[in-house]
Amino acid sequence: MQIEQKSWKDPVLIATVAPLAIVMVVFFLTPLLMTAVRTSQTTQYYRLSWTWNLKIWTEVFSKPHYWTIMLRTVGMAVVCVLLCVLIAYPAAYAMATRLKTYKTQIQILIIFAFLTDAVLKTFGWILILDKNGVANWLLMHVGFPPEMLNLLFSPAGTMIGMVYNLVTYPMFTIYLSLVRIDRDLVLAAYDAGASRLRTFFEVTLPLSRPGLYSGAVLVFVLSLGAFLEPRVLGGGTSPLASELIRQSFETRVNWPLGAALTLVLIAIGALTLAVSVALTMRRRPNQGSAA
Amino acid sequence: MSPRFKNILLDTLLIGSVLALLLFFYAPIITLVAFSFTSSRVLTLPIEGFSLQWYGELVSRPDFFPAVLNSAVVAAISMVFATAFGTAGAVAWIRYRFRLQSVFRAVTFAPLLFPQLLLGVVMLLWFSVLGNWLGFSTGLVTVVIGHVVYITPFALVIVAVQVYGFDDTLEDAARDAGATGWQVFREITFPLLWPGIFSAAIFAFLLSWGNFYVSYSLAGTARTLPIFVYSGIAVGSSPIYPALATLNLIPALLLVVTAEVFRRRALKRQSASLPSS
Repeated sequence: MQIEQKSWKDPVLIATVAPLAIVMVVFFLTPLLMTAVRTSQTTQYYRLSWTWNLKIWTEVFSKPHYWTIMLRTVGMAVVCVLLCVLIAYPAAYAMATRLKTYKTQIQILIIFAFLTDAVLKTFGWILILDKNGVANWLLMHVGFPPEMLNLLFSPAGTMIGMVYNLVTYPMFTIYLSLVRIDRDLVLAAYDAGASRLRTFFEVTLPLSRPGLYSGAVLVFVLSLGAFLEPRVLGGGTSPLASELIRQSFETRVNWPLGAALTLVLIAIGALTLAVSVALTMRRRPNQGSAA
Repeated sequence: MSPRFKNILLDTLLIGSVLALLLFFYAPIITLVAFSFTSSRVLTLPIEGFSLQWYGELVSRPDFFPAVLNSAVVAAISMVFATAFGTAGAVAWIRYRFRLQSVFRAVTFAPLLFPQLLLGVVMLLWFSVLGNWLGFSTGLVTVVIGHVVYITPFALVIVAVQVYGFDDTLEDAARDAGATGWQVFREITFPLLWPGIFSAAIFAFLLSWGNFYVSYSLAGTARTLPIFVYSGIAVGSSPIYPALATLNLIPALLLVVTAEVFRRRALKRQSASLPSS
């Protein structure tokens, strides 16, 4: 495929790039900037006014309550990443190496589930996890005591929902980096007498690292904003950052606070992203050339 | 014997993990479909009897059809814009090299890395300022803008795959035969990219149709289908929501299958005709 060098004087380039660039600047970058600017507002008696001070930031940084919730959010995100990777990796590996004939059908099934309305799927989980729900009914019928699981309205319920909604991302990133691995490298390792296990850990796993890392980062960043799961499946028992943000907008009508908390979350996500990009960049030179 | 047994065990475990994952993905969906046909009001097993009454109940809700209409309008408009922007963006990503391209790539990909709730909140903060200046309040228009920003990166990635496997000798041939730039695009480039664009459009439509987070922040008083469900289940569960889920499923399944089969067949044809690159 040929690549065309384009100058900004070329009307074709402007026609291709400009509309999208303008939309993203006006409706994505400007809002981000505005969020930062609006933290300098203050609310009094449910009315906003521009005061141009940073009072809200001292509030954010001095209240341990906010930081407990932020820490819990990050903790949940880390657990969610681990679970997602552990679930996604074997499945992606099986799809790349074992189930090649059915891969289209499997992928369509996964994409279809992914595209189904998230609120409805979450509601489906309520029906499963409820004390009188499907899971407990099935368990009872295979001989377990009645009402054995009590997952709804607990952090475990939240976690199931989060993993459910996010595991698709690492599934695809890992799969894509696995199918790009040169099969000859694996065969060479076998020829050299390496066992299957050793080949996996010394050839396949390192070469699939890009997909593993990008999937993990994606899950981490996206799970920082989990809102439906803690609210609907967690029952609000242990609120996450998103709940805090919602409250500051809806209940307390304290928009500057909501803006500040949103920025804190974005900063955590951006920092993670930057660190992981720096790490992969540094690793790249001594990695194999199969990618 | 032993290594062979180990292989079989490994295969079983790996294939089992895919089946388990599929079961996990479909557990709530199957549950919803099953409960949509119940005849009782409570949503617990065992399902007592078969009935379609909840479909009737759903359709007779006065706020149901307005929500469907809102969702359809939002999804259709978002689909058109997200697909157009995504296609242009994919061509610029893959085929062009220009100054500030890395900035362009970062900015057009970033919304994908954003938790949707935060994307919605950040845009709400901007629209309320903008609304103050220009005298509008949030509603379906702001929902569409939010959806376009959120969905365009997805469309871009899907079309980019198609652009990447693109055989451009045909374009050269057309150009040699004297076609103008626009003719080349209309007669060669667009038809070749069409399968990717088509599935990006389906993807965009369904993402917008099922989107809750962005709509929730930006809809103001307007209601789309996911907001209708969210505010409904907050009050109490009812079998009308499983019925709605089931109704949702059928057209969506048809769209996804058509788009994917279409796209994969075209990709296969391309990679077969491509010598080696």
